[in-house]
Amino acid sequence: MPNPPEASYFAARTLHKHFGGIIAVEGFSAELRRGEIVGLIGPNGSGKTTTINLVAGALRPDNGSIMLNGRDIVGMPAYAFARAGVGRTFQVPRLFKRMTVIENLIVPALTELRTNHRQAEARAREILAFVRFEHLADAYARTLSGGQQKLLELGRALMLRPCLLLLDEPFAGVHPRLLEQIVEHIRTLSAQGYTIVLVDHNLDAVRSVVGRTLVMARGRKIADGPSEEVLQDPAVIHAYTGTRKAMEGQS
Amino acid sequence: MTYFSLLTVNGLVIGLIYALMAAGLTLVFSVLKVVNFGHGSLYMMGGYASYYAIGLLGVPPIAGVIVAMVALFLFGVVFERLVLAPMYSDKVERKDEYAIIVTFGLTILLTNLGLVVFGPFSKSPPAFLQGTLIAGPLILPYDRLIAAVIAVVILSGLSWFLARTSLGQALDAVSQSRDSAAVIGINPKRMYTIAFGLGSALAGGAGALIAPIFALSPNMGELPGVQAFIIIVLGGMGSVGGSIIGGILLGIVQGLGVGFLPDPNRALAYTQAFGALLLVIVLLLRPTGLFGRAHMRLE
Amino acid sequence: MHGTFRRSHGLQALLLLAAIAAPVVAGPYWVHVGALAWYYALLAASWALLAGYAGQFSFAHVAFAALGGYGSALLTLRLGLPLALSIPLTVILAMVFGALMGALVLRLSGPYLALFTLAIAEIFRLMLVAEENVTRGSLGLEVPGLFPGGSDVPYYYLGLALVVLALLAMNGLLATRVGLFLRAIREDEHAAQASGVNTTLHKIIVFVITAGIAALAGIYYGHFVGILSPNMVILPEMGLVIAMAVIGIESLPGAVAGAVIVYALSEILRDYGEWRFVLLGLALILVQRFAQNGLFPVVERYLDRRVAPHAKSPFEVANVPNVEGDYAKPS
Repeated sequence: MPNPPEASYFAARTLHKHFGGIIAVEGFSAELRRGEIVGLIGPNGSGKTTTINLVAGALRPDNGSIMLNGRDIVGMPAYAFARAGVGRTFQVPRLFKRMTVIENLIVPALTELRTNHRQAEARAREILAFVRFEHLADAYARTLSGGQQKLLELGRALMLRPCLLLLDEPFAGVHPRLLEQIVEHIRTLSAQGYTIVLVDHNLDAVRSVVGRTLVMARGRKIADGPSEEVLQDPAVIHAYTGTRKAMEGQS
Repeated sequence: MTYFSLLTVNGLVIGLIYALMAAGLTLVFSVLKVVNFGHGSLYMMGGYASYYAIGLLGVPPIAGVIVAMVALFLFGVVFERLVLAPMYSDKVERKDEYAIIVTFGLTILLTNLGLVVFGPFSKSPPAFLQGTLIAGPLILPYDRLIAAVIAVVILSGLSWFLARTSLGQALDAVSQSRDSAAVIGINPKRMYTIAFGLGSALAGGAGALIAPIFALSPNMGELPGVQAFIIIVLGGMGSVGGSIIGGILLGIVQGLGVGFLPDPNRALAYTQAFGALLLVIVLLLRPTGLFGRAHMRLE
Repeated sequence: MHGTFRRSHGLQALLLLAAIAAPVVAGPYWVHVGALAWYYALLAASWALLAGYAGQFSFAHVAFAALGGYGSALLTLRLGLPLALSIPLTVILAMVFGALMGALVLRLSGPYLALFTLAIAEIFRLMLVAEENVTRGSLGLEVPGLFPGGSDVPYYYLGLALVVLALLAMNGLLATRVGLFLRAIREDEHAAQASGVNTTLHKIIVFVITAGIAALAGIYYGHFVGILSPNMVILPEMGLVIAMAVIGIESLPGAVAGAVIVYALSEILRDYGEWRFVLLGLALILVQRFAQNGLFPVVERYLDRRVAPHAKSPFEVANVPNVEGDYAKPS
């Protein structure tokens, strides 16, 4: 697995986003060091996905800035975010269904004009080896199972050597054995220096991978720190009131 | 001054009939998220249904409107079940494309069927009521007056139905969110069928109303169909009330436009182009129409 | 994928030979039909690229054809420009408008895009009707022929050459990474953007290219038929083009074949009058209903007997767990 580029440094500063009269994200700020892996959690409607979309460039914030490698990338079109080094996966995998697995992978690589077809394919095969999909290279993406689709999406996001990897619910609805694999892949990536933000509801899986957790509720960040402390924070528990998992985390 | 008020009144009458048609189109769009490109041909079929009901079955002209609406409701239901229903499952990959193509196919099918079965020459059904109303400066053929009144009755009925009855509310619920509606016990598929049937019935009714005024021909649905698209974009693709207002306004503007441009050929062409131009401008400024909610895919 | 190509390349070569040989065996009536079919073939194939590959369901395609035909004719007739100048200028003009159209429809999707382009086409058509002084409106604009003598044969071969060139150009484009990006955009535009594809640029590129081809088709039509009328742009004409492309929407040669078949059938069945279009409407509905990706992929797959790998027999490799039941419904 080739290593990510050096000097990955990310900061979101007072991101603000509203839709009509509803404030989805308010004053969100966070800084990540290179190689950090953080979890972003919060009850439904807390603004997690909107935040991910803002950081990925899919949405434009009303206010605030997003610094990647010292550059403010707010306002650039979504594809430019990807080219600048923000890789992401989607809650429900969005693959190019009627294209093969390997085609799905080479698309991002070819957006770099200097990369030719051969180089793109070579890199795709590396990624395929990483997710252990070599035998599926020529399968159409739509024939993959849900868990496999998530892995493929992860692979696709890696093709552009992202400085920042945003994973939106990588564990959702995945068979437990495949889930272990995904966790393992994420740990490997983190060890290789990828900066990762992980959004998921499966708090156990999140906890097993991340050291630091950010919690959002009603559009604001209400906690940010080592996972164990954060999950015992009364404010966090209050936000999750009624959810068994948070209570379990407490003990 | 009288000339322009006459134009306005006539424009209002036509506008009400447009509004009826547009309301049907909007209903289908807001519930099924489908723009029915075949809507114009349903309008045409309504006109012919009424014509033949009056001619062959001896139904009184005004009842012909009811026959048209019932016939088109049934047709709409059948078409929806047979052709549109597969769209709701994941078997259909590109839903927007599918909807455009099949409804377009419907228009080709019906228009040419009309040409074969009904013949290309225009037919005129008997008037609702012979004669002309003359009240002071106002001169209005009774046909138009009655058409306008019936249109108002139907539109009022529709608004009441949507706002006050549980079925109407159910339709509205599905138009806002299919899943939420399903959670509270509404069967979305039944609502789709009903909505499409109703939308078709409204188009058919509009066709039956306009038939004595402008005569029938198999191609009669083309232009009004385009106008209906314009209206729903202007009035809001999710809003029945908006499309009613839009229809009336467009009818009046087009009616007046004829008076303003001296050259008849250009006048006709440009009044028609005006609606299209409005649509272009509106979509440029607001890609989802003036009052429309964001285009939600069928989930 | 590659096996499919090889087999259907053979088939395409065969069909091309048949097309080249046809005027020798067919009578002048059929040569005329063929020459007209090439006009539709150009439109259908380029529309298949625009709508099938780039996902832009544009109803303005025939308007670009008319822009080409009228533009070139007017430059020649009114401004006295030589054909060698007016034709390329018109094509360039059409491409500029194509780029403009592409830029305008960026924020529109699905039916909104269809309606928008339909409205633009309508406006253009009405302008052609209204401005009689320039275009002779509904009376029609006469265009001089390209070849001396009354035979349709040179037009037939010209049309065929245009179709072949257009297919080569478009397939050439699709074979590059641009083609891959277009397919990705068609599959899922957001995902394509998240993967770094400049979707805006590529959509505009496709509009430019297809507008150019449509304009060329219109120019060809004008010189062949000898007269241009605003009826080139009416909705049923656009519907015909869409129908032809739909029958083979996955492949450009499929659209060409669709055009030839549909147009030829419409001539063969001419005695049946409007029934042929009833059939067309029915065919459109049925094809979408039962074979959404068009008939030709079905035919190609049958010929090739190579089916896309299914999840049924996954993975001999033990690493990946069995796929069935893998994707539980999220709570």
